[in-house]
Amino acid sequence: MQPHLKRAFTLLAIIIIAFIFVRSLAVPGSFGEYGWYRGDSVNELRSQDIEYAGSRTCGDVGCHNTLYSIWNQSRHKTVNCETCHGPSEKHASNIRIMPEPADDSRDFCGLCHYNRVARPDGFPQVDPETHGQNLRCAYCHNPHKPWFV
Amino acid sequence: MNLSRRDFTKIGSKIVIGAASGPVIIDALVKKARALEISPLRDYDWNEHFWGYVVDTTKCIGCGRCANACKLENEVPFDEPVYRTWVERYRVLKEGEAVIDSPNGSIDGFTDDIPEDEINKAFYVPKICNHCENPPCVQVCPVGATYTTNDGVVLVDYEYCIGCRYCIQACPYGARYYNNEKGTADKCTWCYHRITRGLLPACVKACPVGARKFGDLKDTESEVNKILDRERINVHKPELGTKPKVYYIGLDRVVR
Ligand code: HEC
Ligand code: HEC
Ligand code: HEC
Repeated sequence: MQPHLKRAFTLLAIIIIAFIFVRSLAVPGSFGEYGWYRGDSVNELRSQDIEYAGSRTCGDVGCHNTLYSIWNQSRHKTVNCETCHGPSEKHASNIRIMPEPADDSRDFCGLCHYNRVARPDGFPQVDPETHGQNLRCAYCHNPHKPWFV
Repeated sequence: MNLSRRDFTKIGSKIVIGAASGPVIIDALVKKARALEISPLRDYDWNEHFWGYVVDTTKCIGCGRCANACKLENEVPFDEPVYRTWVERYRVLKEGEAVIDSPNGSIDGFTDDIPEDEINKAFYVPKICNHCENPPCVQVCPVGATYTTNDGVVLVDYEYCIGCRYCIQACPYGARYYNNEKGTADKCTWCYHRITRGLLPACVKACPVGARKFGDLKDTESEVNKILDRERINVHKPELGTKPKVYYIGLDRVVR
């Protein structure tokens, strides 16, 4: 082989080896395992903490099971406990950690129940100005069983 | 054996190259096979599921509890106008104009600021990442920091994302945002940490009227599949060919 070709090939070989070396350092180990992404990231995302425990957890025997069965037969059974009380997984796994108290203001119930044009017609709505004489809603309705039926 | 020096070098170098590249090729093949067969997640097989989402716009009451629950579950900054899911209000006026708004992504609810007698029809439309089967956001990522899982969820790798925001530009649904706290792009994961443990996404849990349904499209008995079989459904911007997996019941023609 001619010497100038030899030099060119040696240089090329060095460049290729250097590229492979740098690439092996730069590309994370699990990259490409399942596709053109870092395979480990799927597990990282899955390990995120859960915040919402779910109403059934609140209704466990020995916990709020009485309240749960009242709620479960009420018109509010589609409104989950944590929709009013906020995420409570930490409270459910350690009862010494108390959840934030539920917002019992008129405007909170109003998020769902104040008269709004865009709401479906059948949904129970009240006029915020006149209904309930400006008292807290829980004064007359039990949030866990808003109606006596 | 009579072997010239030239032949010896030729054959020798072929063997060396072959021996060196063999394991690399085998390794690549094994990885491919594993990707098809093995799920990276313990006690959850991502090849057994393919998730789908149904929104019933005729039921939505615009209370915004979904958007609120999403921020709490996923630590989305509350003081910034960024949302993984939000609710839009559409009001089609008598003059024909459509007024569309979503104050604070619906988290504080809506107030009526247009008199009822000027409105022809009004309704809410919950919005969320469509987890497209053909996602433009994944195509444009220059580093492979966003991808579709085998069970059909589009995720962002927060460690690897360089924050270039191409994907945010590419999404035709405005479903992605820039997370200032993480310094990366961010988006709805359909609560991947919940659904892979058998729970529902936080927004579905929070909805008081069942306007949001989530389930497995591979399970013929699932609620979403029954809805797809029974109801007249549509998706957002079908003409783009993104193949969204969020299906809408009662989608009006003014909805964008
Ligand atoms: C519609 C909203 C709403 C829902 C749904 C709801 N709560 Fe409440 N909850 C409240 C409010 C508001 C208060 C405060 C009551 C008051 O001020 O009288 C409260 C109070 C409580 C209390 C403390 C007061 C007491 O009675 O001792 C507990 C415990 C409780 N809720 C548990 C639950 C559980 C468990 C569920 C689900 C089964 C649930 N809540 C569902 C709104 C709600
Ligand atoms: C997250 C939404 C939401 C919140 C917050 C909420 N509700 Fe409700 N409420 C509902 C739903 C859903 C129903 C069931 C409607 C139905 O059956 O069609 C309901 C039903 C009711 C009913 C029965 C209406 C009827 O026609 O019988 C009353 C009364 C009521 N709620 C009062 C309250 C009060 C008081 C509060 C505040 C403590 C409250 N709600 C908070 C969603 C909500
Ligand atoms: C002074 C007692 C009182 C207070 C306070 C009160 N309500 Fe009522 N509510 C009633 C009575 C009585 C009815 C049944 C008669 C009626 O429809 O007005 C009723 C009915 C309702 C209904 C059913 C309406 C329908 O059309 O089916 C809803 C929803 C409701 N209330 C929500 C609320 C909300 C939300 C609040 C707080 C903003 C509230 N109420 C405060 C007494 C009260």
